[in-house]
Amino acid sequence: MPGEVSAAGDGLATRDRVLAWDAALAAVRGQLRAAGLREVSTSIRVDAVALEPWIEPLASGEKLLATSPELAMKRLLCRGGGSMFQIAHVFRAAERGAQHSEEFHLIEWYRDQQARLEGITPGMQDVERIVAAVFEAVGAALGDRVRERLPAPTRWRRVNLLALMGETLGVQLVGNESAEALAPLLDRVRAAGGVVLAAGESGPHHLGLGPDVARLLAWTELFSLWSAHTFDPWLAGLPPDVGVHVERFPASLAALAELEPDERCTAARFESHVGGIELANGYRELRDPVEQRRRFEHVAGIRAHVGLPPLPMPDAFLAELEAMPASVGVALGLDRLVALACGQPRLDQIRLL
Amino acid sequence: MDVSDLKKNSKLEIDGQPWVVTDFQFVKPGKGQGLYKCKIKNMITGAVIDRTWRSGERLTDADVESRKFEFLFSTGDAYTFMDSATYEQVELQADLAGDEAKFLMDNLSVDILFYNGRPVGLTLPSHVTMEVAQCEPGVKGDTATGATKGATLQTGYEVQVPLFIKIGDKLKIDTRTGAYVERVND
Repeated sequence: MPGEVSAAGDGLATRDRVLAWDAALAAVRGQLRAAGLREVSTSIRVDAVALEPWIEPLASGEKLLATSPELAMKRLLCRGGGSMFQIAHVFRAAERGAQHSEEFHLIEWYRDQQARLEGITPGMQDVERIVAAVFEAVGAALGDRVRERLPAPTRWRRVNLLALMGETLGVQLVGNESAEALAPLLDRVRAAGGVVLAAGESGPHHLGLGPDVARLLAWTELFSLWSAHTFDPWLAGLPPDVGVHVERFPASLAALAELEPDERCTAARFESHVGGIELANGYRELRDPVEQRRRFEHVAGIRAHVGLPPLPMPDAFLAELEAMPASVGVALGLDRLVALACGQPRLDQIRLL
Repeated sequence: MDVSDLKKNSKLEIDGQPWVVTDFQFVKPGKGQGLYKCKIKNMITGAVIDRTWRSGERLTDADVESRKFEFLFSTGDAYTFMDSATYEQVELQADLAGDEAKFLMDNLSVDILFYNGRPVGLTLPSHVTMEVAQCEPGVKGDTATGATKGATLQTGYEVQVPLFIKIGDKLKIDTRTGAYVERVND
């Protein structure tokens, strides 16, 4: 019925939500197929997920709900599956907010780069094309019924994350500082961000942790607080039609990305932001199973430290990883992109039900 | 409780004081640590501060409850209230009652806040009706100019009122702003 408003609260009427999602899904598929990627659909219930700090899976019987289709798709790549994409339902416990939902749609794609090492630029270009296509398709589907829509990005800037962090914090950062070296900076950023330390948390950092685990914990917290209190306002100060790719992540925040071979302090990772909203995260994929296991173990170390239950090690994925071709992989939050293209500030304003 | 259970109106104990979450925002940058950016209000002093918690932190629930009581009398340094159903009496120290005390009249129904079983504060109804004890003589007919004069109400509270108000009039007062709203006809 025209004009009907969905039970999910304010935001778009149900008919417009259906039109927007239909347009967005078709636009994403059109873009990625035209680029030669094949669509796959892997299991939602999985034996193991990638271990990442502060990404918590939901259980489903004996198994887990996928937090991302990354491991499954990489196994397909290892077996010669070639460039592919998926529009996956993914689940992350306790992520609830204007821009978060425990269940959301992730567009995940991998470009098999064979022997070429083009870096992460092709992934950024894919993001730009998908964003443009979804803005255009959703705009055409909704016409002028939704006013105050954000302009589609017309320009994209590449931003050096480490340099921007250093500049805004008034320090020099190389990307592999230890937890001890970061401690004074972290305390300063905590105070600026309204964080008050629990008893026993201050002083020498994360006592009793191995240096790699402590470093991961410290960098993750520093990056999070800096993002919320410095980077988000910085993004908000840009003209609305400027998209941003942030690159040169510190090595400790490499997650599943390769390190830059020239200096090993930063990772071949980027994040894409539109209208101040983080949309996508891309890597030149790490293919070294020993290094990948080490990083998963660091996350397991954090989990044990903060009292989270252990997660299964993704052994099946690690056993195959060595065969993976050089690839760039990207994950893009489709719900956020639809909300942006519809001019709606919250995910519940565009959710179908 | 775990910080992920935080909601608007969650009541927390921090440094021995009860706080209520009045504003709440979850952000989680990149593959980062979730942050719960909150505004919290001290349930005793009313002070509002910003506070951010990080994923993985644990918080303490505040043991607070609110119950209806009627005002009985003041001893100067404390106010006594009674539960009209059980006749139970409680005493609230004057410094905890704060500015709200200027509206306390016989039998006024208020919410008394208990923290760990002790009365620590009171919440007034949003509006009360109070009698004018003292003011300049009323000026008839002058309702349009917006001019005001001072008036002292039955509890000693002083408020600006329109010129036509006279001694013995009953006035509706907004307790949140302290302002005169209208004259109430018996």
